[in-house]
Amino acid sequence: MGILIDKNTRVLVQGITGKEGAKGTKAMLDYGTRVVCGVTPKKGGQKVEGKPVFNSIAEAMAQFPGVNTSVVYVPPFAAKAAILEAIENNIALINVFVERIPIKDTAYCLAAAKEKNIRILGPSSLGLVVPGVARLGVMGGPLVQEIFKPGTIGVISRSGGMSNELSWQLSKNGLGQSATAHVGGDLLMGTTYADLLRLFENDQATKAAVIFGEHGGSYEFEIVDLIKKKKYTKPLAIFIGGKFASSLPEGMNVGHAGAIVARGQGAAEKEAALKNVGVLIAERYEELVELIKPYA
Amino acid sequence: MNLYEFEGKELLRKHGIAVPKSVVLHRGEDARKKYSELGVKDVVVKAQVLSGKRGKNNGIKFCSSADETAAAAENLFQMNIRGQYVAAVLIEEKLNIAKEKYISIVYTTNVKQPMVIFSEAGGMDIEEVPEEKIKKQLLDIRQEKSASDVPLAQELWNCFLNEDTRQVEINPLVETSDGRLVAADAKIAIDDDAFFRHPEWNNLEPRTMMGRPPTERELAAKKIDEGEAYYRGTAGKYIELDGDIALILNGGGASIANMDALAQVGLAAANYTEYSGNPPREKVYQLAKVVLSKPDLRGLWMCGVVANFTNVKETFLGIIDALDELKPQYPIVVRRDGPESNEAFALLTECARRNNLNIKMFKKETGMSETAKVLAEMLKA
Repeated sequence: MGILIDKNTRVLVQGITGKEGAKGTKAMLDYGTRVVCGVTPKKGGQKVEGKPVFNSIAEAMAQFPGVNTSVVYVPPFAAKAAILEAIENNIALINVFVERIPIKDTAYCLAAAKEKNIRILGPSSLGLVVPGVARLGVMGGPLVQEIFKPGTIGVISRSGGMSNELSWQLSKNGLGQSATAHVGGDLLMGTTYADLLRLFENDQATKAAVIFGEHGGSYEFEIVDLIKKKKYTKPLAIFIGGKFASSLPEGMNVGHAGAIVARGQGAAEKEAALKNVGVLIAERYEELVELIKPYA
Repeated sequence: MNLYEFEGKELLRKHGIAVPKSVVLHRGEDARKKYSELGVKDVVVKAQVLSGKRGKNNGIKFCSSADETAAAAENLFQMNIRGQYVAAVLIEEKLNIAKEKYISIVYTTNVKQPMVIFSEAGGMDIEEVPEEKIKKQLLDIRQEKSASDVPLAQELWNCFLNEDTRQVEINPLVETSDGRLVAADAKIAIDDDAFFRHPEWNNLEPRTMMGRPPTERELAAKKIDEGEAYYRGTAGKYIELDGDIALILNGGGASIANMDALAQVGLAAANYTEYSGNPPREKVYQLAKVVLSKPDLRGLWMCGVVANFTNVKETFLGIIDALDELKPQYPIVVRRDGPESNEAFALLTECARRNNLNIKMFKKETGMSETAKVLAEMLKA
């Protein structure tokens, strides 16, 4: 069980010959994820971690038609073309690691993906771990076995570092994870908290969920609607960072790109709205563990 | 980055939207001379700030002579409008207003596409306009034609797309008594991440929303991430604050959680800073030097998560380079873990010994917020 990836996942790495792409490839293979090949334009014929490199996705899929997932490790100015290439080739799940993609390019890719019912996790996403099964991307790094343990808590985070940190706090206290997903810190997210909570609702392995949220943007309010409509009914605990930012001028960006100081979108306002529909609120991120423990 | 009104209006004009005749008055320039350059009797004199409700806060004056304009400008330059520094003053022809309307294009996060918002009633906050008077139409980012029927939608869409903006707003969009539509204001935010296709942005003067000009340290930090390797790790984030605890945090999310944790133990941050995404040693060294150069620091908190892929050794070497150089004598608390952290902590321990630092170090067994308490206690001792 778990969400989005399983033993049938076949991964293609875009930008596999780059420093972070090669690192991501190794990280996935080390955790038992089936990375089958990679793509870097003009570098076809090489091998990375023993996996063949192709010039294009079309070439790669002629040999590996089973590819159903792509992870994208290219420079930000090349991201739009890379993501669109994956969409054109009907790859069902695209994890975009790339940070600092212009928002116009992200919006373009999200519109193209939506038309084909393709899921994008990211941009600026370190990926996803289903403990004991597979991981997309580098989440957990070399300490992945120590940090992630199979279990019943679904973890969602706006922050890559906090995905790791929260999973570690849970594991340290004897709580395993059904999956940990990093949605990325941009203003536009391919996969939102609400999207993932819907998946956790239907996942039998998941008994409860924890979220690391942030000030700015409106995605946390979608959770309120989801709970009101009973589309997510399991226990949920959340920490929302950025209370200090309420003293800063409106419009200022502090933290991730999506964390813009705005009236009505502060950490305290989000907490109040979520508390109203029964979500457990943590004052410090470490408290998420105590709050969710009774439901694990 | 938010643009000043006069910069935004340049972009609107470029895309065929009429704007009032105007001149920009920078600090130290002669207001009377500018007034006569404009050659219009009745003018509006407007403070140039990065956000805020200028009209309601006396940031706009109406004048009819060079003397009045000079007095108004001098007055505006001394103001701080809702915490915003007045960088310049715009002197503009006064319009004969028949009607005030509203138009903007912004990204809506729930559908993840841009939307044009139009209202026949403008001049006030759009939040104050009744919902039934507002027209909202989704736009397809993949289409250059706007498919919207509201006036100026196509011109504004061209501006939105071609200038890589995150938002464009004209409020009020004035209908003059002779029936023309003129942008009486411009609120535009450009997308910093699109800088590689906008060399002209290099000409924009540096700015901050902290209600003052950017400090030397802020300007120095900004340079760290510039250049060809700009996307190889982020290490150029430095916002100067009023407190005395230097911060070197990690990650966009963990850093804001830790800002909250620091406030919870009663300490005040001297800065907001984070590096992430596996930046090279040199970038981290530059950043640490900026952070530690602020006078009158009382402590340093270097606090980060269990890193996923940032090499802790490589990044700590940058910090160690700065500590070796500056040898700070105030209490230091470090919390970090992740790739090659054993090597990193051994090197930092060595550095502490040779420089006689007052330092406590923690790995993942201790939570991040806990270590804020440790620093607070070291400062009491």
